[in-house]
Amino acid sequence: MKIEGEYTFDGPREAVWKLVRDPEVLMKCLPGTQTVNQVSDTEFTGEITVRIGPFSGAFAGRVIVSDEVPPQSCTLTVEGTGKIGFLKGVGSIAMTELEDQKTLMKYTGEAQIGGKVASVGQRLFDSVSKSMVKQGLDTLNEILKSNNA
Amino acid sequence: MEKKLIGKRIPRNEDPRLLTGQAQFVDDVNLPGMLHAAFLRSEYAHARLVSLDVSKARQHPGVVAVYTAEDMGKDWFPGPPLVSPPPTVEDVVFHSRRQVPLVKDKIRHAGEAVAVVIAENRYIAEDAAELIEVEYESLPVIMNIEKALEADSPLVHDDLDSNLAAQLSQKKGDYEAALKEADVVIRRRIVIERGAAAAMENRGVIAQWDAKGEALTVWDTTQAPIPIRNGLAARLGLSESQVRVIAPYIGGGFGPKIMMFYPEEMLIPWLAMKLNRPIKWIEDRRENFYATTQERGQVHDVEIALTRDGKVLGLKDNFLHDTGAYDPYGLTIPINTQCHVMGGYDIKNFTSEFKVVFTNKIIVTPVRGAGRPQGIFIIERMMDFAAKELGIDPVEIRKRNLIQPNAFPYEHGIIDQAFAPLILDSGNYPAVLQKTLDAIGYEKFIKEEQPRLRKEGKYVGIGVVPFIETTGIGPYEGARVTVEASGKVNVATGIGTQGQGHFTSFAQIVAEQIGVKVTDVRIVTGDTSEFHWGTGTFASRGAVVAGSAIHAASSMVRKKIFTLASKILETPEEELELEDGAVRVADMPQRFISLGELALLANPLRGAVEPGTEPGLESTAYYGPRYGPTAFGAHAMILELDPDTMMVKVRRYVVTEDCGTVLNPLILEGQVHGGVSMGLGNSYYEQLHYDENGQLLNASFADYLLVGATEMPNIEVHHVETLSPLNELGVKGAGEAGAIPVPAVFAQAVENALSDREFEINEMPLSPNRLFELVKS
Repeated sequence: MKIEGEYTFDGPREAVWKLVRDPEVLMKCLPGTQTVNQVSDTEFTGEITVRIGPFSGAFAGRVIVSDEVPPQSCTLTVEGTGKIGFLKGVGSIAMTELEDQKTLMKYTGEAQIGGKVASVGQRLFDSVSKSMVKQGLDTLNEILKSNNA
Repeated sequence: MEKKLIGKRIPRNEDPRLLTGQAQFVDDVNLPGMLHAAFLRSEYAHARLVSLDVSKARQHPGVVAVYTAEDMGKDWFPGPPLVSPPPTVEDVVFHSRRQVPLVKDKIRHAGEAVAVVIAENRYIAEDAAELIEVEYESLPVIMNIEKALEADSPLVHDDLDSNLAAQLSQKKGDYEAALKEADVVIRRRIVIERGAAAAMENRGVIAQWDAKGEALTVWDTTQAPIPIRNGLAARLGLSESQVRVIAPYIGGGFGPKIMMFYPEEMLIPWLAMKLNRPIKWIEDRRENFYATTQERGQVHDVEIALTRDGKVLGLKDNFLHDTGAYDPYGLTIPINTQCHVMGGYDIKNFTSEFKVVFTNKIIVTPVRGAGRPQGIFIIERMMDFAAKELGIDPVEIRKRNLIQPNAFPYEHGIIDQAFAPLILDSGNYPAVLQKTLDAIGYEKFIKEEQPRLRKEGKYVGIGVVPFIETTGIGPYEGARVTVEASGKVNVATGIGTQGQGHFTSFAQIVAEQIGVKVTDVRIVTGDTSEFHWGTGTFASRGAVVAGSAIHAASSMVRKKIFTLASKILETPEEELELEDGAVRVADMPQRFISLGELALLANPLRGAVEPGTEPGLESTAYYGPRYGPTAFGAHAMILELDPDTMMVKVRRYVVTEDCGTVLNPLILEGQVHGGVSMGLGNSYYEQLHYDENGQLLNASFADYLLVGATEMPNIEVHHVETLSPLNELGVKGAGEAGAIPVPAVFAQAVENALSDREFEINEMPLSPNRLFELVKS
């Protein structure tokens, strides 16, 4: 399954990059996140509760950041398992500076899901993941704006 | 003898019980002290089982036991091969790989059982199953049957050199010579995808071990209780007489409930003995999608050689058949496809090779039609393409090639699914086709209605397809018919029943011979303690094989009745009449004896039973055909299509079925209706969608679209009766018939409706979106 999109932040690229790489911020941004632990500079573990249609459940997972070109781009490898299935994915984000101190983020990724999430939830997974991403990026943008204010 | 009951539209004996909720299904069985099972199933389609920690689940309150493959010790071994390997046909390849009770090392399809939890109730069992910690090492997933055969493909079974499960070639005549003579050769690639059987009742197994009586009773939603009994006895080290398998009322079989030896069927009885407690497992719908077998996936490369006037000279069909992770059912499905790909046509030159391929999908075993719909879809599509290319009417090209009534028995010279010669025993194919054409008004539709409706902007199309159905294969079935002292008749046979109306059609066969009311015949099916020889209900064989055994036993009882009555009434047998539950002297109706009294006299408490005779008015008989009869039929539909949305409405649906003697038209029509609904599902609604990682993406009825009442057309059923010479009743099977030709008719009708567009249907099932893509591309 492909996840793809773009988002315009109301702030400079350096500031966005800093927020993206801050686990505390990520925890606030991703809806349902219970814990985030930084294992190393490029590896995070955590727990997230997700509701997809009739199912909700906690996923325990790991995110690895690689191919980092600050403040421009990086690759994220995500792995999560829980009672309602599993998720594996690789994605990349790329940011370019726009005029007026704005930043355009383009993200693209391939996710593989399994278990109940796939067999019963797949029809909803697409919209759930899109809305989670949007909600997350909106929150990130709010934090960005309040930091700048 | 003129038939009084056979062929009559008699309401079903079983319906009052079924309609008032009094029929016992497996889940209705509740035993004191019964425990409940839940399975932990793999979420991965292909993975190595790295570690399995069940300790938390074992500690969960209410949990009695948790078992893994390791815990089974020496009792862990794969299920038995269900269908004997093919005979030594030249160059045949067959690698038998069977499903296991619980995965030990490697998962081969999503949904394979990894552990089983036994608890005080199902809720606890399911909760505890979630506490099991499993570590999987995921492996590359094999999904595409063509890629699966490439040299660098990962393997489903590591001990094999490739994913090739089996390979078989069959030939007739000289195809290469036919090709040289042909005016036209048409080649296509045709792809057919999987659907589910989706029986209303999911599977279920309940087992009870009586330690003091040393007897095991198993209630199982199986179509074949006797093979399950035999297999369980062998597996558990018991005598067959210590195991009783009961297949009570079953809410639909459709193939996947045949003697599969599903992991649950092996495990639940074993656990009941181990724990000495009754255990129940009822499959839920999601499990049914993941753990119950499926069918239909094939890729065909087909070539047809014809003369300019549309006479088929030869057919070549090489295809791949997806068997999923294991191949317990041998070669039944692809051989059926091979045997149906010539349809009802007189094709002299034929060559076909199939390769059966292992993939990381759910296991494939027969689903209503069992390879036949694919074969019919292929030949009928090719007939349509040929008709178009040669400018011949699609019905006309079929008429030119149908096997003629004087050609029977028609020997194809290839083997069928039972490895018996493929011989079409009897039929009047042109008459069946003509009756269908007349009923749907083919000429009038093409010449008048379609042009008129087209002018009104309506896209309407017609499809007409004839088909064969091989039915009623061996090895054999048996039955015991007993006239009891009440004057009523008890009949026991070994097959199971899943809604086919056996309690009525079999009763009609008996009542016809024994002169009782149909409602006075009690039929017992699917209980190994009542009758313990036989095979099961599959391959459209119940009426043919068990019905013939019942007929034979009834005839023998009839003889006994006459012999004894003749003695008692002191009248020669030829002057006696058997009717209304009594034997009468033909010209002295006041001189009679009832069957009940006769049954008492046949089983006396004093006196002596004469040497060489048997007590009671009872007989047991068996019937085993050398080969099965082949039914024939034709379906026609008129559909209307909205070219913007590609939504389809079937306006008319006509079926002519020739299954030999019709035992009960009401029941036959019901079978046909059910089959057509499955066939429509296979055409436009039902498809199992897997992603590239082996995840089934529509494992619920919210996403897997069954045909509903609103999609179902009214179905007109007509009959032609060409009696089979192979059995005394003259019957041929009809259980799968309804489903077989529907996708072929549907494709033809859709192309006909959109004849102003350039597109071709080379795949099934379709859907509105897929058809939209095909037409627009």
